[in-house]
Amino acid sequence: MEQTDPDLSSSSQARQKLEGLLNKNMRIRMTDGRTLVGLFLCTDRDCNVILGSAQEFLKSADTFSQGEPRVLGLAMIPGHHVVSIEVEADILEDGQGFGVDN
Amino acid sequence: MVMKSAVDDDDTGWGLGIPEKMRNSANWVDITQEFKGACKELNLGELLHDKLFGLFEAMSAIEMMDPKMDAGMIGNQVNRRVLNFEQAIKENVIKVKDLFLPELIGIIDTCFCCLITWLEGHSLAQTVFTCLYVHNPDLIEEPALKAFALGILKVCDIAREKVNKAAVFEEEDFQAMTYGFKMANNVTDLRVTGMLKDVEDELQRKVKSTRSRQGEHRDPDIELEHQQCLALFNRIKFTRLLLSALIAFTKKETSSVSDAQKLVAQAADLLSPIHSSIQHGIQSQNDTTKGDHPIMMGFEPLVNQRLLPPTFPRYAKIIKREDMVTYFSKLIERVKTVCDVINTTNLHGILDFFCEFSEQSPCVLSRSLLQTTFLIDNKKVFGTHLMQDMIKDALRYFVSPPVLSYKCCLFNNHQAKDYIDSFVTHCSRPFCSLIQIHGHNRARQRDKLGHILEEFATLQDEAEKVDAALHSLLMKLEPQRQHLACLGTWILYHNLRIMIQYLLSGFELELYSMHEYYYIYWYLSEFLYAWLMSTLSRADSSQMAEERILEEQLKARSSKKTKKKKKVRPLSKEITMSQAYQNMCAGMYKTMVALDMDGKVHKPQFELDSEQVRYEHRFVPFNSVVTPPPVHYIQFKEMSDLKKYNPPPGSADLYLAASKHFQQAKLILENIASPDPEVNRILKVAKPNIVVMKLLAGGHKKDTKVLPEFDFSAHKYFPVVKII
Repeated sequence: MEQTDPDLSSSSQARQKLEGLLNKNMRIRMTDGRTLVGLFLCTDRDCNVILGSAQEFLKSADTFSQGEPRVLGLAMIPGHHVVSIEVEADILEDGQGFGVDN
Repeated sequence: MVMKSAVDDDDTGWGLGIPEKMRNSANWVDITQEFKGACKELNLGELLHDKLFGLFEAMSAIEMMDPKMDAGMIGNQVNRRVLNFEQAIKENVIKVKDLFLPELIGIIDTCFCCLITWLEGHSLAQTVFTCLYVHNPDLIEEPALKAFALGILKVCDIAREKVNKAAVFEEEDFQAMTYGFKMANNVTDLRVTGMLKDVEDELQRKVKSTRSRQGEHRDPDIELEHQQCLALFNRIKFTRLLLSALIAFTKKETSSVSDAQKLVAQAADLLSPIHSSIQHGIQSQNDTTKGDHPIMMGFEPLVNQRLLPPTFPRYAKIIKREDMVTYFSKLIERVKTVCDVINTTNLHGILDFFCEFSEQSPCVLSRSLLQTTFLIDNKKVFGTHLMQDMIKDALRYFVSPPVLSYKCCLFNNHQAKDYIDSFVTHCSRPFCSLIQIHGHNRARQRDKLGHILEEFATLQDEAEKVDAALHSLLMKLEPQRQHLACLGTWILYHNLRIMIQYLLSGFELELYSMHEYYYIYWYLSEFLYAWLMSTLSRADSSQMAEERILEEQLKARSSKKTKKKKKVRPLSKEITMSQAYQNMCAGMYKTMVALDMDGKVHKPQFELDSEQVRYEHRFVPFNSVVTPPPVHYIQFKEMSDLKKYNPPPGSADLYLAASKHFQQAKLILENIASPDPEVNRILKVAKPNIVVMKLLAGGHKKDTKVLPEFDFSAHKYFPVVKII
């Protein structure tokens, strides 16, 4: 991975930010209320995200059979179904750009 | 959220390893806006990914929120709560005792529908186990329902065991997973049939007590109860008979197969009353919330949704109750046919039986039962005959090799015995595989036939060597006899049969394009069928030579003149049929060439491939065969070149020649004394084609630009040509 100057264009900065998140745990909430947790592997301009070793959790409150996650494996979440994206806090402490300006 | 304990993180696979870091203590930070913002900076079509993760890996991801791929989505869109059996009992939404007769009838019928849907290739979780009662029959207090639930579980369990053992299924045929459900393993088969019988007897008493007596005024309520009791009785009895038949198939004795046949025949008699009483059962109400799963007491289509693996798109559509009875009656017909196999004794007859049975595209259960009836656990045919003995009998029947003749000195020669025994032993596995291949579904058969040719090529080689060794032995002992190409002829015959079937099945599976027909039919008529016929006639003359020797030996012993009886040659029917097939293929070949000359065959613009590429692809499995040697494209072009004739034939000549071939096929077939359905099917193609070819030869619609149609509805391999 090439070293980038902080002054470089915003697009390469964004790329660097995203690359810093690769193979990190990510929690994505989808439009139907389910949450997927898995390793961030891939994304594109439309914010389609691929998670590896993903697990599916049902919405917490209103489902009767709550509890064990369901293992999905490799899953792609279309960008327009992504409601929120979360990462673990200690990942951000590595200082890859995310959260610093938060 | 409770997480499961960490599993070793697999660095290479992106699959199912659960990452270590997923602790419940994790402190999640929202980065939605920044993430989305950063994504926008990427270029169109650009993928941001790790260098170990590429487009190829990305392709195997399941797409969330796609109803075809995301099995979890359906469950989430339904607004009702999904309860399991215990929860449903606790909440009082399901009855475990004092069920009304219509409820029992409805539940049983729906279970039957689920059973069939499972047998047609869906998962147990989406079919039979959508019935909550079978999750734990111990909790059911109603005896009829309890016995039925156990009966259905046993039926599933035995069917699953049979299908697994026969191993003639692929993922498209059958789902063997039980998802950890108990298949009534804590109760014996005998106990379950006993419980069903008890319930049956109890119901029979009720049926009798509610029966109308002469002169009595009939209370409509009692009449209804009578009808309903009878309906339930028939269903319980059907379940018991079905289960008993399957149990009979698990026994090792051959006699149990005929028991099974009797049991299914009895079960078949119940189908008509079951059909006419479907309306007595409660019907499912359609879900008022989202999703079109029907809702019925005791059934929860979504109860197992979370058990399904991620890539489980299939939405199991449970078949209708009306279709259930039809399916059962067809299934029973197939099972009855399967039982008939034990009456076939000759290996060739068995092979033909398997071929014919497979032609109806039977279900996976009947296919599996046929396999397990043929080879029982002890590796003996029908549990009694050694495969080696079957092969020896087949050899005797086909070529009468001297080595297997009681009257030949080789029969008791140790060395000769060793040769033939080791050859026959080597044959037994490939022949078992060949029979097993015919148990697979039609599409898979073709692929597997292509592969088994390799094994037969090895056998061919061995057969020739053994023939040579036996011949030289025989020359020393009985110089007047020969042992030439006996075993070789037999293997060659099977080789050719496999090759022919491989090519023909391509028509049935609609693999060939119209512009390919001509070389497929050419290969069949000019090459494979020609070889087959010469092989058959060699076998025939080998038989005759052997018979002559036997006769002479008999004459020498007894002075009495044996009456010369004209015996029907055992192979004559097959020779005749091969001639007919060859003529049909030749007719089709000439038709295709002529149509091409007239510009009536659509040819693709070959860009990345060529006819040669396609041709070679079509005959790829034949490359492993030594005899007959594969015909390469260049050879084919030379051999089929019309310019070698002087003058080269025009399209009219070819149409006329094709018409003659069809005519010839018709003559051959019409002379067969007892025509079977196959003969009639071919005739249905030959007759119209004779006329069409004559018309075309006469210039009928020569200028039309409309392409001809090929109608395979009368016969799988030969189309009726239609000029529009």
